[in-house]
Amino acid sequence: MSQEQIVITLIVFSVVILLIAMDWLDLAVAGLLGVSVLIGLGILNQEDILSGARTGGGALSLLFGGMVVARTLRSTGIFERFGDLFLKATRGSGRRFVLLLVVVVAPLCAFLPNAITVIMLAPIVIRVSKALEVDFVGPMVLTAILSNSAGLLTLAGDPATFLVGSACGMTFTAYLKKVSLGGLLALGAIVPLLPVLMRELWNIRQPLTVKTPPEPIRRPGFALASLIVLMLMVGTFIFGEFLPTPIVPPGAAIIAASLALLLIYCVRVEPVDRVIHDIDFKSLIFIACSLMLVEAVSKTGLLQSLSLKMVDWFGAELALVALILLAGVGLLSGILANIPVVAASLLMLKGYLVAAAVVPETALIDGFTDWPAASLPVFVAMMFGATLGGNATVIGASANVVAAGICSANGGSLTFTRFMRYGLPIVGTQLAVSALYVLGMFWIS
Amino acid sequence: MNIRRVTRWVQIVVFCWFAVMGALSPAWGGETLARIKAMGMLRCGVSEGIPGFSEKDAAGNWKGFDVDFCRAVAAAALGDSKKVRFVPLRAAERFPALKGGLVDLLMRNTTWTLGREAGLKVKFPGILFYDGQGFMVPIDSPTADAKDLQGKTICLVKGTTHAENLADYFSARGWHYSQVQVDSYGDGLSQVLEGRCQALTGDVSALAAQHLGFPGAREKLRLLPDQISKEPLAPVVRGDDGEWVTLVRWVLFLLINAEENGITRDNVQQLVVDNPTPAVARSMDACRVFAKPMGIPPDWAVRVTAQVGNYGEIFDRNLGTKSPYDLERGLNRLWKQGGLLYAPPMR
Repeated sequence: MSQEQIVITLIVFSVVILLIAMDWLDLAVAGLLGVSVLIGLGILNQEDILSGARTGGGALSLLFGGMVVARTLRSTGIFERFGDLFLKATRGSGRRFVLLLVVVVAPLCAFLPNAITVIMLAPIVIRVSKALEVDFVGPMVLTAILSNSAGLLTLAGDPATFLVGSACGMTFTAYLKKVSLGGLLALGAIVPLLPVLMRELWNIRQPLTVKTPPEPIRRPGFALASLIVLMLMVGTFIFGEFLPTPIVPPGAAIIAASLALLLIYCVRVEPVDRVIHDIDFKSLIFIACSLMLVEAVSKTGLLQSLSLKMVDWFGAELALVALILLAGVGLLSGILANIPVVAASLLMLKGYLVAAAVVPETALIDGFTDWPAASLPVFVAMMFGATLGGNATVIGASANVVAAGICSANGGSLTFTRFMRYGLPIVGTQLAVSALYVLGMFWIS
Repeated sequence: MNIRRVTRWVQIVVFCWFAVMGALSPAWGGETLARIKAMGMLRCGVSEGIPGFSEKDAAGNWKGFDVDFCRAVAAAALGDSKKVRFVPLRAAERFPALKGGLVDLLMRNTTWTLGREAGLKVKFPGILFYDGQGFMVPIDSPTADAKDLQGKTICLVKGTTHAENLADYFSARGWHYSQVQVDSYGDGLSQVLEGRCQALTGDVSALAAQHLGFPGAREKLRLLPDQISKEPLAPVVRGDDGEWVTLVRWVLFLLINAEENGITRDNVQQLVVDNPTPAVARSMDACRVFAKPMGIPPDWAVRVTAQVGNYGEIFDRNLGTKSPYDLERGLNRLWKQGGLLYAPPMR
């Protein structure tokens, strides 16, 4: 890429972010326009689009599948039932509502993809918020942030976590032993901030009025079959890779979506057209566009050249590099989709470790696992930066984009600024806690 | 049909377009060459300074055997051997720089190995220089050959194949040694001159050139006769662009074929353009015909030879009789002269 193309790419990228941040343009339209300009100027070509599709196709399939299954479940009336149970558990207390969210979301997201969890929980969160007579946008933001943060609890909790963890040769158990505590601390760091960030909701006490009992589920067979599809999807997420023919989570989501649509078609509860029509394609398009934009930014070579610059600047001072990566990748992940950021940053980090002669050149080979213990905290720092940084803005993670789409579809407005009011203080605190954890890892190693 | 419904269907169509476009579109070939043309510049990764191979002269101009090969590739790709940006790299930095897309061609005394080609997924278009690993020791050292280095401290450059070769050679003979890893040959020579290492190991050609080029080395150091490994040094490119591999490979073959046919910088106009033999004319026809699928100017072969010279000229100018180093061609002679240089025909 020439200097002019690098400058144009960075300008286009900055303008897209600005348009979204200032709410001057719909985020999907802004993303599409940005990508169109880069294609028109020959900066993005089909090879880049293919590469973007390779990186992000899984995430898009996962979201599409999750949305179809959730939409199918909506037709069963199950969400109303769960919503009532959740509401009862809150006893009309905003504080209990928020803390229950933490307790429910964290374990779910330790195993399920974040955006899927947001999609599944959204109808319940919105129902409970309305019953407590509070704006549902705040709890939706919290659900997205909690789901992103809980992605650090296990190796399978978040695609970014998995990418980094597997790149440094970590097993599920090794992750639990060495990294999960850090994820738990980052998640726990949110709780003390909640009384301040969600003061109104935290203090609310709403007497729960005695309502008429919920309508009975009219088609129990359909409801049961839908739940089986959901359980099949979740089960395949967790155990799919151990099957004789391994099925990765995006594949599981597509299979589940197909079964859900088949069910809708056979039972004829409503037309398949209407289910497809209700899918949040706007969010999917924006996520696809953001992948292309990151592809263009990655193509500038700026990230890659940083790996060599880092050797000049910091030598083999791994603790310093880890802290800088935590902050830098965190910042970048706040405005870019974290999966491609992680993919590019991994290349940068491996390049740095080889160039600094911390590891041999064979470390650049896919599947290299013989990383020295001293390099593990650097990978962990990058992982925490990528996963937690996404909490800063509405475009930082797919769960956030999905949450914004759901808010919009339900008559709420989740703007860039509003998300940041919650996101920035949380990310600042989480990154500070993570920095201490990473330094602790260095100290122990 | 209301506006909302239309908008929704537009969104669906756009999403589907994104999803299928990548799958249906053919991959673009020759991306490296396209980028080089767009930039008007070849980015070539070289050493930070190995005499005879890649070093800056007093005026700040790059010169050397590897440098001239970069210029030959630039002459083929862009028609002008001057359109090269040299990126100096430490040995450990070379593969991150190549794989990270910071250079288009790596010309940094790199040994062609299975691990690098299969593991790192880079390609070696052909062998440019047949080398081996040797040793340099202080001139007053009692060391006569590698056997006398048992129990000694040996310096070697980080991120090279030299550490493995040394370990294999010494352990096979039950010899012990300790090693000190340094960033460059220059650092290694300083360590030997200061007595912190009893020997420096590396490519024989580089050691020989350093021996003459590094201040104080000629008076205080000498080379041992041993050669403990094969070091086929080659240009390196990323493995995902077959067309670029082909172009670099055939520039190398052109240089060798030109020497074999006696075509030099001075006589290329006469022997190739004005009065070619039937064999040369056929080769030139092939170069012209296949220039188009290679994406380069039709007169690329003439331009390369006219601007850079043939293999022998490049060798002599930088390492051989016309250089301060006066190295033997050795294995780098043409096959007709008992060497290993043998290029496929340009037909």
